[in-house]
Amino acid sequence: MSSLFDLSLIDSTLRMMAPLLLAGLGGAICARVGIFNVGLDGLMLMGAFIGVAANAFTNNIWLSILIAVVGTLIFSLLFGYMVIHLQANMIVTGIAINFLSIGATTFALRTIFDVQGAYYNNEMVGLPTWRIPVIDDIPLLGNLLSGQSPVVYLGILITIAMYIFLKKSVLGSHFDAVGINPVAAKSQGIKIKKIQYQAVIISGILCALGGVQLSLGQVTMFSENMTGGRGFIALVATMLGQSNPIGVFLSSSLFGFTEAISIRFQGLNIPTNFTLMLPYVITILAMFIFKDRTQLNAMKNSQGSSR
Amino acid sequence: MSKMKGHISNIIQPVFAIFVGLAVGTIAILLAGESVFLTYREMWEGAFGSLYFLSNTLERSIPIILAGLGVAFAFRAGFFNLGAEGQLVMGAVTTAIVTVYLPFQGFLNLVISIGAGMLIAGLLSFFAGWMEQKFQINLLISTLLLNYIAVLFAGYLVSEPFRDTTSSGGVAHSVMVEDASKLPKLLTGMNVHYGFVLAIIITILLAFIIKRTTFGYEVRMLGQNMFFAQYGGINRKKVMFISMLISGMLAGLAGSVEVMGMHYRFIEGALTTPQFAWTGLMAALLANSNPVGTAIIAIFLAALDTGALGVERNTDVPNAISDIIQAVLILFISAKFTMAFIKSKRKRGAK
Amino acid sequence: MLELRGITKKYGEFTANDQIDFSLVKQEIHAIVGENGAGKTTLMRMLYGMEEPTSGDIFVHDKKRKIQSPNDAIGLGIGMVHQHFMLFPSFTIAENVVFHHEPRKKWRYDRKKANQEVEQLAKKFGMEINPNQKISDAPVGVQQRVEILKVLYQGAEIIILDEPTAVLTPLEVKDLLNSLRELVKMGKSIILITHKLNEVMEVADRITVLRDGKVSGSLKKEATDTEELSRLMVGRELQKKQLPKVTSGKAVLDVNQVYVNDSKNKAAVENISVQVHQGEIVGVAGVSGNGQSELIQAITGLVKTSAGKIRINDHDVTNHSVRQIRDRGLSHIPEDRYLWGAAKSASILDNLIMTDYRKSPLAQRGILNKGKIHSYVNNSIKRFDVKASSINTSAQYLSGGNLQKLIAAREIQKDTPLLLAAEPTRGVDIGAMEFIHEQIIEKRNNGDAVLLISSELSEILALSDRVLVMFEGKIVGEFDRENVSEEKLSLLMAGGTYE
Repeated sequence: MSSLFDLSLIDSTLRMMAPLLLAGLGGAICARVGIFNVGLDGLMLMGAFIGVAANAFTNNIWLSILIAVVGTLIFSLLFGYMVIHLQANMIVTGIAINFLSIGATTFALRTIFDVQGAYYNNEMVGLPTWRIPVIDDIPLLGNLLSGQSPVVYLGILITIAMYIFLKKSVLGSHFDAVGINPVAAKSQGIKIKKIQYQAVIISGILCALGGVQLSLGQVTMFSENMTGGRGFIALVATMLGQSNPIGVFLSSSLFGFTEAISIRFQGLNIPTNFTLMLPYVITILAMFIFKDRTQLNAMKNSQGSSR
Repeated sequence: MSKMKGHISNIIQPVFAIFVGLAVGTIAILLAGESVFLTYREMWEGAFGSLYFLSNTLERSIPIILAGLGVAFAFRAGFFNLGAEGQLVMGAVTTAIVTVYLPFQGFLNLVISIGAGMLIAGLLSFFAGWMEQKFQINLLISTLLLNYIAVLFAGYLVSEPFRDTTSSGGVAHSVMVEDASKLPKLLTGMNVHYGFVLAIIITILLAFIIKRTTFGYEVRMLGQNMFFAQYGGINRKKVMFISMLISGMLAGLAGSVEVMGMHYRFIEGALTTPQFAWTGLMAALLANSNPVGTAIIAIFLAALDTGALGVERNTDVPNAISDIIQAVLILFISAKFTMAFIKSKRKRGAK
Repeated sequence: MLELRGITKKYGEFTANDQIDFSLVKQEIHAIVGENGAGKTTLMRMLYGMEEPTSGDIFVHDKKRKIQSPNDAIGLGIGMVHQHFMLFPSFTIAENVVFHHEPRKKWRYDRKKANQEVEQLAKKFGMEINPNQKISDAPVGVQQRVEILKVLYQGAEIIILDEPTAVLTPLEVKDLLNSLRELVKMGKSIILITHKLNEVMEVADRITVLRDGKVSGSLKKEATDTEELSRLMVGRELQKKQLPKVTSGKAVLDVNQVYVNDSKNKAAVENISVQVHQGEIVGVAGVSGNGQSELIQAITGLVKTSAGKIRINDHDVTNHSVRQIRDRGLSHIPEDRYLWGAAKSASILDNLIMTDYRKSPLAQRGILNKGKIHSYVNNSIKRFDVKASSINTSAQYLSGGNLQKLIAAREIQKDTPLLLAAEPTRGVDIGAMEFIHEQIIEKRNNGDAVLLISSELSEILALSDRVLVMFEGKIVGEFDRENVSEEKLSLLMAGGTYE
């Protein structure tokens, strides 16, 4: 058993958690303003692909992150335009965005790199691991927390920043107001659409970072549909976390942990299919325990627009 | 008069979306550096070019139609069943296993194994409905998550206990269906099988149920205003359970006929890679959950798929182009954009 | 201060406002009265920048202005208190008042300062509030004060109030009218939109009457009275209803010591007993939200009771399903026609057959009979005068009055011994109201039992043989038709005691 549960499990939990956390925060900020973003998975996939593509041409990790963020942001604006401006059904649009990104990335993979399935080259530069000076020297804690990719640390920082933004800033309270009662917010002269676009843009940026962590942090390659539904897990993390950044952090930690554990189990005599199932089963079980109001409201909006 | 107008705008919307979808496809083709005309011609040829290709297209449309009808039926009752994929796979794997283990072959075997597949798939969908009803577990999320679980579980079944060990290596799959129990082909030498006839019959049946029966009325009213339905005495729980069950059974049937009429075994990934369930979902959404419309659009989307395969065979354009065109299609259908556009034009014209 | 000249607003073919002239001078209360659909709200939406006039000009402080958004209006010192409150339930009172004008330290929200400022402002205008209270915990009267404070906080000089008394208890109405006088004393000018004439006569300086989108009169208060105003509003005299004597028979509905819990598991209905006899209309008066909804839902089978018995024609129907109760002979006009009473996107036909779709001749063995349904639906809309282009039109295109007539047709023409009519004429035009009232009375005269639940006192008084008053989930008073008066009801509805 000791080989199953040791300190490096926490290390891999953090690594697995980061993409879920970032996309989950993206979902949370959207839910706050009344948008149910089912397209998180597609946005992440887009970020993962653009990150790798940019990396293959520039061989510069920072530049590729920047390009991935900008590219995904533009893609998220498409979702925003459909949902906010044209009042398309949020669920339908989200699903279409997921399809579009699967199609577009697969298409681009073949036309740009002329490969099928996955792309990889030796020149690409993955995300570095950062050793954090002070913490690194502390015996136990150093092993646990230091030595992650910068995106992991960024995820934690963004969690705190978003919490402060929502609870303490004026603009944050306007975000909430738009989600709670858009008609009232509008009657007070708040530009609802502007705020909703801001939330969608933020979610685009966060999903891009999550995707980059997948394709350049955990590995250094892109494979077709490599998010494997993580965007939907992130969506559930948003729900479990009640669209509160701290809550999203906790729930995505839980999912990161189950993912890390399921990889551990593969060493045992348990069929891999069952270990792979674990995160999804736990998610369903977790849904019995937690229920989210904000997300439900956003969902109600989306149902409304489908009628 | 207003009815006429309604019909016209019903048609204009999809036509406009198809136009935009093809336009985006054109851009993609240009990016891939191919001739647009040539590519679209290949697409047409690949989908309808000969009786053989046409039969491929119709065969491919079978699971899409059935899964789409399943989604459409649940959606009519107001429930978003995103679990068609898992239900389809569970139906397929159940059928593939049952047919092999039944002690007899022939038509009865075919009926029982397909029935078993439908039942398991229906129960899977019912389970999600039950969780919603009993524990307020969001249906959208639960059906989605059950997809992953079902697909992995089916994969486990054919890679461990029910694996066909006679053929070595390759993708995991189950034992071959006996000839006597296969779902026969419509035309010899062609791919399209009797599943297509079944799909068309079910389409018509479903259209009749929804439009002309009291149960169909209950489904429609529940979908349009849950509170109104309850106020009128409709039992939400009952209608929900039945419609989720039917929805899952139809998705399961999609997988079952694909096994009994096309692959003759369950092959891991063979039903998920072509995204039958998701394409069916799109067909249902594009058709506004109208059964006949769902079937027609399903055939159209299948043609895009088989056409794209033709494109890939003969040009440098990858078949992912059909994903792109389909996604754009659905984006533009779901937006109220086209209607608003038409309205604003009409207003301007009137001034 | 404010002047409108020749304001016209058209929505397609429909003219909502036609050549409206209006002016407001400093420190006056100018009331705009009119029936539902007379164009009052449209006019105010234009003043507040939520709509733009098709033609005509708006002058503020003698300068011609274009008001294109609420922000423009606020900038010109115009504030609006909406009929439906524009509040954020999970925010505190102070947060709601300062919303979009928050005191801040750089980007940070200075909630402490917000609380202080709101407390001072409230004191200045003599209003009592606790700035830290959550809106969702505040009573309706307080919520309205918050709305007014919000407008004052934004520095409004002109305050528009749209139907401010619709949701208030009579006592809260008195408070509000006093506050309005106070505001005028402190230099504000007020536009009061309402259809309640006694309030207008009490507080307004000038009165403009709208009818069918046009100004039908503009008068000084001293020079007019309620009779003249109502004539100008309606365009004809209203007839007082006479209820012919009907000997009431046995009890059709028997509600016996019923308790119902709300969604938060608090008792919403406590120990209510009501009997409704054949040939009798029993009215239940009360301000909305005092347990009427829960009582209605318990009788109709939409929620479960926690204790007590409900019988229809001596059959126990307590906690039976909606269908079982309806089959016992209940028909039901629901309190909210869009939530409960209809499916907006469904056709008129589908909406009309809801209560009878399973029964012969409309259906046999689960199959709908198209021909029978068509003749049934066509007969119904003819008899109840539902105006629609076709029976396939979706219900959302019907006006409120027409949709309500459709619902009444569905429920009243059925030959049931019991009708539960909840807010049967809320928000419909006079014509539809009179028609529905006649139908309800006719049902009574036929010897059926009617339970009428309404927050509109005039409706209760016009129709009821017997009146019960509900307050905080209990019945606090009962009157015969002969002994009832508006004053007595008002007092009890507000939680006061009588005698």
